[in-house]
Amino acid sequence: MSSTETPAPPAVAVLRAEHVTKTFGGLVAVNDISFDVPEHSIVSLIGPNGAGKTTLFNMLTGLYRPTEGRIMLGERNITRARPDVITRHGVARTFQNIRLFGAMTAVENVMVGHHARMRAGLFGSIFRPPWVRREELQTREHARELLAYVGLREPVFDRLAGQLPYGDQRRVEIARALASQPRLLLLDEPTAGMNAQESRVLTEFMRKLRDELELTILLIEHDMKVVMGVSERITVLDYGKKIAEGEPAAVRADPAVIEAYLGKQA
Amino acid sequence: METTTISPIPPPVAAHPLAAVRRYFGRWGLIAALAALPIYYGISDLTRGYQAGYVAGHVVMHHDLSKLGFNFAVGLSNGAIWALIAIGYTLVYGIIELINFAHGDVFMIGSFTAVGLWGTLGLGLTTGALGLIGGLIVTLIITMLVTGSLNVLIERVAYRPLRGAPKLAALITAVGFSFILQNVGLLWRGGSPQSVNDLIRTQQAVFTIGGVPIQRGYILAFAVMIPLVFALTWFINTTRAGRAMRATAQDPEAARLMGINVNATISLTFLLGGMLAGAAGLVYALYETNVWYFQGFKAGLIAFTAAVMGGIGNVRGAVLGGLIIGVIQALSDSRLGPQWTEAVVFGYLIAIMVLRPRGLLGEETREAG
Amino acid sequence: MSELRALLREWRAAAGKRLPPWSSRALAGFFIVIGIVLPFGFGSASGFMNATIIALAYAVMSLGLNIVVGFAGLLDLGYVAFYALGAYSLGWFGSGFFFKAQVHVLVSKVASTLPGVHLNFILILIAAALICAAAGAVIGLPTLRLRGDYIAIVTLAFGEIIGDVAVNGQSVHVGGGMTLTAGNLGISAVDAPYFPGIGSFGLLDLRPWYWLIFAILLVVLFVNLRLRDSRLGRAWVALREDEVAAVSMGIPLVKTKLLAYAIGAAFGGMSGAFFGTYYTEVNAGQFQFGFSIFILAMVIIGGLGSIWGAVVGGMVLGYINNYLIPDVLNTLPSKLGFNFQLTEVEFGIFGFLLVIMMVLRPQGLIPERRRRLELTAEIAPADAQLAEAPGTPGGAA
Repeated sequence: MSSTETPAPPAVAVLRAEHVTKTFGGLVAVNDISFDVPEHSIVSLIGPNGAGKTTLFNMLTGLYRPTEGRIMLGERNITRARPDVITRHGVARTFQNIRLFGAMTAVENVMVGHHARMRAGLFGSIFRPPWVRREELQTREHARELLAYVGLREPVFDRLAGQLPYGDQRRVEIARALASQPRLLLLDEPTAGMNAQESRVLTEFMRKLRDELELTILLIEHDMKVVMGVSERITVLDYGKKIAEGEPAAVRADPAVIEAYLGKQA
Repeated sequence: METTTISPIPPPVAAHPLAAVRRYFGRWGLIAALAALPIYYGISDLTRGYQAGYVAGHVVMHHDLSKLGFNFAVGLSNGAIWALIAIGYTLVYGIIELINFAHGDVFMIGSFTAVGLWGTLGLGLTTGALGLIGGLIVTLIITMLVTGSLNVLIERVAYRPLRGAPKLAALITAVGFSFILQNVGLLWRGGSPQSVNDLIRTQQAVFTIGGVPIQRGYILAFAVMIPLVFALTWFINTTRAGRAMRATAQDPEAARLMGINVNATISLTFLLGGMLAGAAGLVYALYETNVWYFQGFKAGLIAFTAAVMGGIGNVRGAVLGGLIIGVIQALSDSRLGPQWTEAVVFGYLIAIMVLRPRGLLGEETREAG
Repeated sequence: MSELRALLREWRAAAGKRLPPWSSRALAGFFIVIGIVLPFGFGSASGFMNATIIALAYAVMSLGLNIVVGFAGLLDLGYVAFYALGAYSLGWFGSGFFFKAQVHVLVSKVASTLPGVHLNFILILIAAALICAAAGAVIGLPTLRLRGDYIAIVTLAFGEIIGDVAVNGQSVHVGGGMTLTAGNLGISAVDAPYFPGIGSFGLLDLRPWYWLIFAILLVVLFVNLRLRDSRLGRAWVALREDEVAAVSMGIPLVKTKLLAYAIGAAFGGMSGAFFGTYYTEVNAGQFQFGFSIFILAMVIIGGLGSIWGAVVGGMVLGYINNYLIPDVLNTLPSKLGFNFQLTEVEFGIFGFLLVIMMVLRPQGLIPERRRRLELTAEIAPADAQLAEAPGTPGGAA
């Protein structure tokens, strides 16, 4: 009847969450969730407000530590890892409420995204030997390329990030996430605040990322058109538990899902 | 958008090397650390004994707890003064999350004002008991009004314009005001501690408990602190304005939406805190019999430590913290030497901030844990 | 009014585009030359020279605190601790204080006959920097998970503790009859800097002192400029702006913050060592909380996070404190009929300056390039033509 069984993973799972639980005092935000994200796929995490999606994201990126359970990135156990370590191992994210560094330009924001991939340390920064100079130049170049890749125009590159219009800020955030050359990209409500046309563009863009950059994408979304249109698999949460999982068509028809959303249609 | 309405979910906290230590430390660890000093010295006094004077060229050793008891008496009385000041810190921090750096100096101005009023009212060493009591009550009231208004003025001039600004700006302004007030004190009564009349013969023992003389000064400190704390607690818990204070402390936006005049409530908080600091100032002048422009800075840090130890935002915590710090100070003065007391108190402050920022009675604060 | 400002900005931008790329280097070179020849225009022992030397040393301190408070956004109210440690580095390693030791490295003939530890001043500078860097990391460590105001209190507490240790150190014995510090009496027979070929610095001719501190300032300035535009500098600003986002981008929190404390402290230590030898004594009375506020005032008035602001703030306050108030304006109040001298209200003046600055111009005299628009919320004319305010949903891409 309902599609709660996880379909056999077709390929290597980039990310696997095993019986992950998170409690805050008396509140169980995430309750025994297990799922995985196959390589090169686009997986959506959906569910009503308060279902635990962002909490789960925060655990996947190391901002929260799971109360129970285990999170594996490929062969590596990242359950207790620090956020910056997780980023170094190839996970990048964007945030639900855009969190750019407002006092820096768009280019500088993306250069910060490169932090984990650069090697210049204290003395390299002070003395700037040729390899550091080269690294800086290359990073700056790459940052500009990424900004162009996400669809921004040149004049915007050197503007303070806090001054950009909303849509541009979203793109900068994605470029910044891409800068760390991740294997897995976590997008938290990327289409929030966008109209239908912009959402379509972003959906196309996500496919482009998956195909051209060989990324795996896990996204939290509320816009059902986007979810149904781009996902290869959908995982549905409600009250911290996984209530359904599978291909879009199956999930859409799942009574438990429909009930959780109280009739919200795609 | 995820809503987090029912229980506040703490913001993401990255793993930290001391986090494990912190978890295990807990409230009992803090209590143990605080009790360590008195327990150690109590046992040492009982077993090894302490020097209690000379008789015919020989050192007399006592093996009882009266020296410890004396430490406690002194400590608790000083602590009562710190408690009054600490309440001011904790109220202000609870409502606008700002360390009112100038608060200690408001206390100092209170002392100076009180001493000034003695002169104006003609209170001196020869004043009769009735006149003295009457005069001191008048002094108390006027001093409290002065310091209360000063505190409100500081809020209005320095903090309110910066309410939307980053916390750094308000903190710096507070420090700036502290300096201004200190300079006022410096000009008023000079740079050295100034002796003032011992109006109530503060060191005269009224009675003795277990070998520990209970001096007038001790009784004074508590006689002022206890009623004021009760009055404040009654006010906060019973009156409408007090309820407004509690509501604003929990959620200023919601309070505003419920029709509470947040600005007035904040001013009221500063007024009450300032008044208590003024009372503390008068008690200090009577108890220590000297005043100093720099006393506010020192007292401020001690009182803030007390507020944090008790749990910032919590009035009972501030009182408890004040008393505890007073005892720690007395023990350190008496056993380690006064030159190390400040370092000891600050050592405790740092340890609390690192290991249990919410103190003894506080709740998990928003990002400090 | 804002139109005028916008116009000025446009002119400045246009002028900037017309200048050749080496123009800023040329300007820097010009100022360096001016700095080097400055002393020849003034008496070699004048009050002005003295004030300038002190002002330059303050600028170094200010640059150090600017890294901690300005770049990394960590409110350190105990910076005096590093002044103290730097000065004591000089007292320990450049005088006869540790009289049991007999260590001499590259010192003057006179000094090499004296007991104690006598190292060349450059070595002492390095030692001060290292000691303070370590101390900075130790002080910073407990503050890592604390919010802003708590960081202020903890660093303040550390500053006070170090001050207490300085005073009480005269009763702390380190063996052989030697103590840790000389308390309020102070370590007084400290070495003057000595360079082979130049000789020992004296107190009659202030010019060598000037060139020495000027050179130190140039080095510290160089390091600051390099760091600001580097991977580490960006990491600091990112942490300051949004800690959660920063760590999610791969910035290691602990290491990056500790580096800020350490490097900021190192500069303070270097300046402290210079002060120690310039004032010819190191005593505990020099290390009060007020000094921490003084340096903080320099950074803030200059412009939080701005390198040039820190320099300007340091020098301006240095001049005001050591020249304007005591030498020039001290008798002003009595001329106006008050019976106090201006030096007695120094404190209050600085407090007042802090308050005024925060209320009227929080971004300081020379705002940090990155922060200018943030704190004043201005929009450049070209941007004003865009449809909507930044950051709102529905904006055109």
